[in-house]
Amino acid sequence: MTQIFTVTDLNERIKERLENDPRLHDLWAGGEVSNYVNHRSGHRYFTLKDHDSQISCVLFRNTGVRLGFELQDGQNILVFGDVAVYRPQGRVQLIARGIRLDDGQGLRYLQLEALKKKLTAEGLFSLERKRQLPRFPERIGVVTSPHGAALRDVLRIIGSYPARIILSPARVQGDGAEESIALAIRALREKTDVVIVCRGGGSTEDLWCFNSELVARAIFECDSPVISAIGHETDVTIADYVADVRAPTPTAAAKMAVPDMQELKAALVQSHARMARALWTVLERKKENLDYLQRQVSARRMYSLVADARQCLDWMGERLVVSQMETLQATKSRLEHAYGRLAAVGPEATLRRGYAIARKSNALILNSKDVQPGDVVELILAKGRLKARILETEEEYSG
Amino acid sequence: MSEKEMGLEEALGDLERIVEKLEEGKMSLEESLVLFERGMTLVRFCNSRLEGAERKIESLTGEVPPDLI
Repeated sequence: MTQIFTVTDLNERIKERLENDPRLHDLWAGGEVSNYVNHRSGHRYFTLKDHDSQISCVLFRNTGVRLGFELQDGQNILVFGDVAVYRPQGRVQLIARGIRLDDGQGLRYLQLEALKKKLTAEGLFSLERKRQLPRFPERIGVVTSPHGAALRDVLRIIGSYPARIILSPARVQGDGAEESIALAIRALREKTDVVIVCRGGGSTEDLWCFNSELVARAIFECDSPVISAIGHETDVTIADYVADVRAPTPTAAAKMAVPDMQELKAALVQSHARMARALWTVLERKKENLDYLQRQVSARRMYSLVADARQCLDWMGERLVVSQMETLQATKSRLEHAYGRLAAVGPEATLRRGYAIARKSNALILNSKDVQPGDVVELILAKGRLKARILETEEEYSG
Repeated sequence: MSEKEMGLEEALGDLERIVEKLEEGKMSLEESLVLFERGMTLVRFCNSRLEGAERKIESLTGEVPPDLI
C-alpha cells in the first residue's frame, strides 16, 4: 500500500525517529568549524565538517555553556550534544551542549572528564568512602600482569613479611585489558585483606585501560581496601581516584601494604623493653617499700637504737653514780658529824685527861663497896685496857 | 585465645595493650608478673611469625611465573 505523506508529516516522522534514538543523544562529534555565525539573538550557528561531510550545529544561548574561547572558522573542535531535526527546513542538526577545542587527544579527554564527572556524582571518589589499610594484612591480592616488572617490585618489597600473596593475573594493556582487569579484581572477592592494582610505567595509551568505568566500578566494589599504582608518579588514572589509596609506583604500593619488617622487629624489641622496664619499676617500687620496712628493723637501726639506749643508760648511770656519791658523802659527813658530837659527849675526852673507867663484869664500879679484895676488875684507859686485882678497899677517899 | 589462632595484628594489638597497662603501674606485683609473662609469650609469638615466615605466593589462575616461586 502506498502512503502519501505531506512534507510536514514526513519531516515530523523523520524528526520523531531521529530524536528518539538514544544513540543520537549525548554524543561527541569532532570536526572543523565553518560558516560560523554569532547571531544577535545570542545563538551561535556553524557547520561542522570533515573532509567529505558536514552537519549544521547550533549552540543556543540558554544552554549556559561557557566556551572559554572564541569559535572561529577552521578550528578543530569537539561538540557534545544531541541530534535534532529542524522540521520547517527538514534539516538534521546537532544541538550543542558543550564545545571543546580538539588538540588531537580531545575526545578521549572529554570522555574522561565526562566519566570523572559521572563517577564523582555517584560518589565513587568520595573521601568518606576511603577505607583504612590494614596494618598487618595476612592476605595480599595483587592484580597485575604476571610477567611485568611491577609484580616483581611488589614482591621484592613485601619480602619476608609473613602474608599470603594472591596473584590475580590481568592483561594490563591492549585489547580486552579493561575487562581483564575488572575481572581480576572481582575474582579476589573475599580472598584478601588488601588489594594492590598495579602496572609499571607506559604511554598514556598503555595506561588508558585504567581510565575505564569497568575498572573503576570493580575497584569501587572490591571488598578489601585497594591500593592503586598505575605507571609513574605523574600518571593519574580513574582507577587512582577510586582506589582507597593511590601509590605513585608499584614499589610504593607494596610499602604501603605491609609494615616495614625492620621497624616491626624494632617495635617488638621496644615492647619487650618497655614491659621489662615497667615490671622493673613495679619491682623497684615494691623494693622501696620493702627497704622502707626493712630500714625499720635493720641492724644499723638496731645498733643505733642500742647506742641510743646505751647512751641513755650511761647517762642515767652517771646520774646514779653521782647521786650515790652524793648520798655517800652526805652519809659520811653526817656520820662524822655524829661522831664528833658523840666524841664530845662520850668518855674518851675524859679518859684522855687521865681518868679511867672501872668495870666489873661489864658494870661500872662507882662505889668501893661494890668490890672485895681479890676481885678482878677491868680498867678502860684513854688508850687500851687493863685487867687488875683489888688489893684493898677503902670506904672514904680524900685524895 | 591461643596465639596459634591469632593474627599478627591481634597479637601486636594485645601486646601494645599489655605494655600500656604495665606502664600504668596500677597493678599488684603478682598481676604485673602474670601480664609480663603473657606479653613475653606474645613477643615470642610475633618474633617467630616474623622470623620463620616464608613468602607464600599463589595465583588465581594456578600459574605462578617460575621466577617467583
